[in-house]
Amino acid sequence: MSKKAIVSLLVLSMVAVACATDTAEEEVAVEEEHDHSDESTLEMVLERGFVKCGVSGSATAFSETGADGSITGFDADYCYAVAAALFGDYSKVEFKSLTSAERFTSLAAGDIDVLIRNTTWTQSRDTELGNDFGPTTYFDGQQLMGRNSDGISSSSTLADIDGLSVCTNAGTTTEKNITEGAGLVGATITLVTVEKFSEAMDKFIAGECDIVTTDGSALVGRRAVNDALNDWSIFPQSPISKEPLGPVYRSNDSMWGDVINWVVYATIIADEYGVTSANVDSVDTDAFPELGRLFGANDGELQTVMGLDAKAFYNVIKQVGNYDEIYSRNLNPVGLFREGGANDRWTNGGLIYAPPAR
Amino acid sequence: MIRDSKFFIENPYGRWVRDNLFSSSSSAFLTFFAGFMVIYSYRGIVGFILNPERMWTSVTYNMKLYMILAYPDEAMIRVWLSVGLALILGGLSIGFYNSGKTISLGGIFQKLFTISAVIAILIALAPTNTNVIQNDGSIEVVEIIPQDVRMLILGPSLVLTLAFFFLRNVKIKNLFNTAKVNLTYFGLIIASLYFIKIPTISLDSSGERIIPDPFLPIASTTYIPWTILYVGMLLFFFIGSLLKNRDIKIMARLIPISWFLCPLFIFSWIFKKPLVELNTVFSADIPSILVFGIIGFLIIRFSDNESVGVYRTPINIGFLILSVVVFLLPLVFIFKATMVLLLLLLVVSPAIATTKEGKRQLFIVWVVSLFVLTFLIRGASSDTMLVTPTGSIFGGFSLTWLLAIFGTYASFPLGLALALGRTSTLPVIRIICTGIIEIVRSVPYITWLFFASVMLTVFLPAGVEFNLIIRVLILTAFFSGAYFAEYIRGGLQSIPKGQYEAANAIGMNPFQRIFLVIVPQALRTIIPTLVGSVITSFKDSSLVAIIGLFDILRIGTSVIPAQSQPVVFIGRNLEQLVFLSFFFWVFTFVFSRRSMKFEKRLGLGER
Repeated sequence: MSKKAIVSLLVLSMVAVACATDTAEEEVAVEEEHDHSDESTLEMVLERGFVKCGVSGSATAFSETGADGSITGFDADYCYAVAAALFGDYSKVEFKSLTSAERFTSLAAGDIDVLIRNTTWTQSRDTELGNDFGPTTYFDGQQLMGRNSDGISSSSTLADIDGLSVCTNAGTTTEKNITEGAGLVGATITLVTVEKFSEAMDKFIAGECDIVTTDGSALVGRRAVNDALNDWSIFPQSPISKEPLGPVYRSNDSMWGDVINWVVYATIIADEYGVTSANVDSVDTDAFPELGRLFGANDGELQTVMGLDAKAFYNVIKQVGNYDEIYSRNLNPVGLFREGGANDRWTNGGLIYAPPAR
Repeated sequence: MIRDSKFFIENPYGRWVRDNLFSSSSSAFLTFFAGFMVIYSYRGIVGFILNPERMWTSVTYNMKLYMILAYPDEAMIRVWLSVGLALILGGLSIGFYNSGKTISLGGIFQKLFTISAVIAILIALAPTNTNVIQNDGSIEVVEIIPQDVRMLILGPSLVLTLAFFFLRNVKIKNLFNTAKVNLTYFGLIIASLYFIKIPTISLDSSGERIIPDPFLPIASTTYIPWTILYVGMLLFFFIGSLLKNRDIKIMARLIPISWFLCPLFIFSWIFKKPLVELNTVFSADIPSILVFGIIGFLIIRFSDNESVGVYRTPINIGFLILSVVVFLLPLVFIFKATMVLLLLLLVVSPAIATTKEGKRQLFIVWVVSLFVLTFLIRGASSDTMLVTPTGSIFGGFSLTWLLAIFGTYASFPLGLALALGRTSTLPVIRIICTGIIEIVRSVPYITWLFFASVMLTVFLPAGVEFNLIIRVLILTAFFSGAYFAEYIRGGLQSIPKGQYEAANAIGMNPFQRIFLVIVPQALRTIIPTLVGSVITSFKDSSLVAIIGLFDILRIGTSVIPAQSQPVVFIGRNLEQLVFLSFFFWVFTFVFSRRSMKFEKRLGLGER
């Protein structure tokens, strides 16, 4: 082969490469057209066919991972409820288990559509971080747990922990709340900080500290499991902090936000009327026009303008259940009950309240 | 003195005890002290494990979660096929590379004697009672090993110990092939899946827990696949032996290549849906492979040709410019990668492909790597095919294993290249390699993990989206590659200069000198360090939990202690930690034992 032939072959193949890369460029361009950045999350989710829901995966009774890898719990049920409303099939959910550090970045990056991961609604999270919060599904609050043998009872106050040692996890708002609270009432405490609440609990059981503190829901759960002698008391009656937990979605996405909000409200309204997954088929929609509107009588106009199916909320109640069902299914087994607490119906003096459906 | 009594002088065992345990008063003290500490902690551990407060069903019930997290049941066949591929290749290699080493029956009895003696000693020393701390702080003493149970185990193990003690000296001419003996051991382990039963949680049809917990085989769903795979492995062992006897030379090449390609295949098989759309294959893949293949052929064919002469410099410069341009354009990743490889080929081929045979081999390597590269990049940028309940496909032990194996697999060639580059005489290559090694090594692994999880997407070209696990794998390869590079460089420096000179003197080219003379000797000296590094990366894989992946440790410390349904496992983290320590210990121990055998076989330290 002559030199010229070699050189011309080389040039030819380079041209061929250039042509091949042109087609490749087109591929990239096509991919970019499918970029959904300007679309509403609602359209995107409906097009995709399933909802991506961010949960904890290791929060007892809220979202826990079962032995077969399935996710169950109070938060997980609200993910199922959203899927039931959107697709008429509660199973169209893809869960993503997130640590507390990565939950907001994951939401902002679009890895998940909605975050239902026992997340407290605070001002900075709502404003600075580019999130919007849905209606609170569970009113939690920080409490303390001590031993009756140390003179603690459920009517004790923060002043009673003067001179005792307190275990909590380090660097969290929990730690800040207890230091501030004790400082306010002038109680001197020895703070023992560990990395995880489970370690704090181990220390409490081993007697290395007199008091352990975290959100009330977790304390009740651990007392139900570990307190064989009924020696432990949770106090004070009204928690030392407010922790309203609820769904979170990206800011400026009203269509999607409305869907999440009204899924929660629908479960609450159904609970107010006593409609459960068992009796939702036999509801007298003429006697209760609000339920008629909610469950898709009159062509379900209210739902269709939201971009949902007329039967969307009927599916939620039918497949997942009302607020009370979701609550008792997941939280009663760990000793958390609605009666008389903040999570009771508003008619019973609780805080669970929904705007009317009309 | 007791030390000078007849027993301690004449009896060989007595002599050993005298010389090794009680040679002086200080060593006698150390023997007693260390013995006391060992026995005390052993009794403490047994007391802890058998304490009725422990709930070991939290471990056994969640075994599937530990192993594969939430890999979907209907796709499990992929996992079994992958394990099967590895086992079949293993069987084939054991059969083909069978060194014919044998062990006598006495040797086997010696091993069995040790095992049964250890069991007898352990059961004799185990504590009878343990303390249970009540919630009010009082301590209750509970019997954990009743005397009749102790006798039931101690009696037979003592009888066996005695029997094996005498049998091990019996002179029987029968010799057994070690490979076959090892395969039998493996078969026994698989048979134990059928027989060893442990308590686990079972639910009846209405979801109620059956009490007391029934005893079931450890992994009742896995023993049938394991048996089939074991039979397949045996079959391929005999095929391998047959091929060895027939002296089929091509297998010596095929087996290493299969081992090299096996992880790639397994990886894409378990994890990815490689994008095999005929449309893309014909419009993009085949033409690009053809074109790059032709360019590669031309480079290999003519790069050392005298007649290219004056054109060589302009072609090299032209290629350099073209590669830089291609790299800067917003193109598909594969073109950029291949252009860089072409440039590399242009530089190295005049040095390593001097003979006709050398050129042919280099061309084959080039075409194969084009296919592999295309397949890999297509696979890596395609969607995962699996939707799992937790949204995280890999988790638990499979993730730990994947990180360890792939980390080693990918980082070894990378480390070798970096080490050779660092010792190169070409300043550009040396500076780049030194830079990579120093930058990667001077930043902690956790920082790199955050880099992989948050920042890597920013650096990757448009259109390429890697899954988080793949990003972590790439990063792990670079991280351990940089460490490997330094170990290998240490090995390279231990080679005397005479070896280089001797290789030059017999007319080897640089490629032959490095890969036939220097590297094999260098690797031999650093095997202990490399194994240490593999063990480290196996254990370091737990760190991926902080970027949100579910490794085995995260499952044990946060997922399982949060379960409240169907059975309450809340706060059961001590059991998980004990189980995980044991689990990691077993694997690292096996690693280091294998490497010790490997060192012995290579005659390390005997040179």
